[in-house]
Amino acid sequence: MATNGLLIDYEYCTHCGSCEVSCKEEHGYPVGKGGIKVLGDGPWKIDEDTWNWNWYPLPTDLCDLCADRTAKGKEPICAHHCLSSIIKYGEVEELAKELARKPKQFLIVPQYKPLEARGQFVHVDKGTEHRAAHMDISGTGEATFGAHRHDAKVGDYETEA
Amino acid sequence: MQESDYVAAPVVKLDTLSDVNDIGKPWRYQDENFTVTRSCPWSPPGCHPVGCGLKLYVDENGRLEKVEGDENHPVTQGRLCPRCIALKDYVYSPARIFKPMKRARRDRGNADAWQEISWDEAFAIIKIYYERIVKEYGHEAIVGFSGTGREGGTMSLYPTMVFGTPNYCYTQSGYACYTPRLAAVAYIVGCTYPEWDYAGALPGRWEDERYELTECLIFWGKAPLESNPDGFFGHAVIDAMRRGTRTISIDPRVNWLATRSDIHLQIRPGTDTALGLAMLNIIINEDLYDHDFVEYWCYGFNELAERVQYMTPENAAEICQVPVEKIYAAARMYATAKPAAIMWGLAVDQKTNGMQNGQVIIDLQAITGNLDRPGGQLLPGADAGHNELGFGFAESIGPELMSKMVGLDKYPAYCNMILNAQADMMLEALETDEPYPIRMGFYMGNNLLACTSMEPKRWHDAIIKSLEFCIGIDTFMTPSIEATCDLFLPIATVAEREGTVFTHYAPCTVTAGFMHKAIDCGGLPSDMELAYELGKYLHPERFAKWANAHELVEQFRLGVNEHGEYFDRVSECVVAQIPIEYYKYEKGLLRPDGMPGFATPTGRVELWSSAFNQFGEDPLPYYEEPEFGPVASPELMEEYPFVLTTGARVTAFFHSEHRQIPYLRELNPDPIVEINPKVAQEYNIADGQWVKISSPFGECVQKAVVCECVDEKTIHAQHAWWFPEEDGNEPNLYGVFRSNINNLLPNGHMGKLGFGAPNKCLICKIEPTAESYDTDMQAIWEKFGTLV
Repeated sequence: MATNGLLIDYEYCTHCGSCEVSCKEEHGYPVGKGGIKVLGDGPWKIDEDTWNWNWYPLPTDLCDLCADRTAKGKEPICAHHCLSSIIKYGEVEELAKELARKPKQFLIVPQYKPLEARGQFVHVDKGTEHRAAHMDISGTGEATFGAHRHDAKVGDYETEA
Repeated sequence: MQESDYVAAPVVKLDTLSDVNDIGKPWRYQDENFTVTRSCPWSPPGCHPVGCGLKLYVDENGRLEKVEGDENHPVTQGRLCPRCIALKDYVYSPARIFKPMKRARRDRGNADAWQEISWDEAFAIIKIYYERIVKEYGHEAIVGFSGTGREGGTMSLYPTMVFGTPNYCYTQSGYACYTPRLAAVAYIVGCTYPEWDYAGALPGRWEDERYELTECLIFWGKAPLESNPDGFFGHAVIDAMRRGTRTISIDPRVNWLATRSDIHLQIRPGTDTALGLAMLNIIINEDLYDHDFVEYWCYGFNELAERVQYMTPENAAEICQVPVEKIYAAARMYATAKPAAIMWGLAVDQKTNGMQNGQVIIDLQAITGNLDRPGGQLLPGADAGHNELGFGFAESIGPELMSKMVGLDKYPAYCNMILNAQADMMLEALETDEPYPIRMGFYMGNNLLACTSMEPKRWHDAIIKSLEFCIGIDTFMTPSIEATCDLFLPIATVAEREGTVFTHYAPCTVTAGFMHKAIDCGGLPSDMELAYELGKYLHPERFAKWANAHELVEQFRLGVNEHGEYFDRVSECVVAQIPIEYYKYEKGLLRPDGMPGFATPTGRVELWSSAFNQFGEDPLPYYEEPEFGPVASPELMEEYPFVLTTGARVTAFFHSEHRQIPYLRELNPDPIVEINPKVAQEYNIADGQWVKISSPFGECVQKAVVCECVDEKTIHAQHAWWFPEEDGNEPNLYGVFRSNINNLLPNGHMGKLGFGAPNKCLICKIEPTAESYDTDMQAIWEKFGTLV
């Protein structure tokens, strides 16, 4: 199956908040959580007359690319509502062609709950197990004080045998 | 408009929209288990009449489950801002009020004293007070407080036909919002607002053969992306920029659009008129103006040319504190670009000489030949829409009562233009009983203590003292109603009502939208329905011609009376584009008499304004220093060293609304004051620290964002803050006075015609505070996150 992602023309992201709120409404996420977050850098001066100020809508680990919607052939809700219409959903290979046509874009493939996507931990037996041997052993009669060099004397104490 | 004009606008599909979509669906259809109703909202929640396309998904139980942008809308094309995306949370908010409530006058300010009552009882109470107060003091003793943007506040039905008072009053000092601009255009050009032509009315939109892409677009004291001003879809600006439109920003703040502009004139707040005069000076002296348009269609060019000589670009550079080369570059870029347009914003109104600021902008648009050309400034024609003003005035008010309107004798240019009592004089009337007592009031979608009124404590005290009876009409409790009202009437949201929405309130409309009722929340009325029901109860004779509110809507908004059948037929289009013509002045389409020219005394664009002259104002534009600032009040600057500018909008809220909607509050949890990093260093203010801001008029606290959005001499503070999560009882009143920037702004500093207020060019000082008032979003979620 082809990999899908989002092509984002961040040149025109105005940080209106539509993607963030749409995502919460669509998925019922509470405040403090969401599938997309707009991060920003700026404004700071590049030189006397020009500024750097960019917003970046970034899918989080709760972005499932609107699996329910895309299963029906619709675009993710953030792409539907984006006021600048700068979020485009599609197959990565197709989007990559569009990426090449214009600067100030990025193409991103999110993963929904990546830890969960790894699945449950399952041990794999690789046949390299070492079996403990059964042997008779005896004690030293003294406690060892952890981290000291064996020849360092740090106090006057004795242990009872 | 003719019936044949109300046809569904052709759809222009966005590239980002999938091929599986709802293009071509009717106004109501089924989608799996949902009944989907397409609608174009106005209010409530508050908004300017953009009428973005909405799809309201309602389940089998009649519950609104989801809201999505409607891709059939020719301008919004499926896109939607966060406020409508979260509409469901507004409709079913646990804080929303669904039943009428009453309270004794002595219990004003007691949030626990409200008692739910029936609509019958509510109407009966109103009738008793209304009849007694009218008998004792006359109809003029009633005031209707209108807010900003919402339908209820802009339509004149409540004050005229329901209560018969001449005192309809937008309570912002100098009506410093939109109307000063409207007045300037009306007096100089003879029509209302000249909006940038963004092909909104053309079937092929940007690709339409009649359209020519704007080469240069100026944002003058305007933040269109966040404000969707007056029905303009803000992100149309982005659509144009992506097609190649280049921009100039005139703004004391570095906003996002300014960083994308070829030229940013970061002027000292309040000095815009000096800049405009200098741009006129350059364009005239360098012979960059449109000779034909000036010769054939303008009046008073020589006088204007002579006037602007005193404002050399060098002179303006010093006043505005911007490099003179940038003024030259901006004037030349604007004058040589064809077509070019200016989007002028609220900042124009929010200064004492705002009328002159408006005048220089219109003069620039006119002498460069950009009026009514494709991609320039679209002018409203003589047949433009059904303007709301004046409806019901003749039969319900009449000339004698009209002559008593507060402020009419002193400020006729203001009061006649907008049929409103002058705001500053209304405050004085409430305080002093002069020229006569004001004893009853009602809020038609206005939260004046939080948002629209300067010195809110003065309004608070004056209303409580003077009004014997006051009614709040809203969807949620507000601090204004909590403090001053005796009766609360709940109204329907956009999802629960029918109606129309014309961009720009009707004149200069590009789309006509229809609201369709998708759900019912206990039969709550819309503002139109409430006006009809209450009006009929109080004055059956005035409403006899309409069998129901549906018929009233048809007459009021569409100018037709076919017992609602006409409305039903045409509203099925959901959204139509208004047919437009360019160069209407050549075709006799701007004047009621059908002759070529403009609807002004001389028939031309009056660069020398006969109307201004008649009102005793200078007929030519002139610059006036802001009353408070480094030039006019240097002695005050020792104590208040910063210029204060306020009121830039954010997408999360419509002015004072939406603070109780968790997803929206999360976008902007606290009131923000922007401070330059060097200033923050000097005053030991950390990013995120709460700061006390004070002016000679008052103080408040807001949370600092330390950034280069403002220069070292300027402070910008957000407006309209209150905290619905807090105690509503007096004196806290949901914390409405704590972070209220209007505490710092005065009344009574308007221009000669009564318009304008220095809200964007005052002075202040700042100091860090030890306290933190940070919003706890978890508490907001717990209080408002569970829908009813």
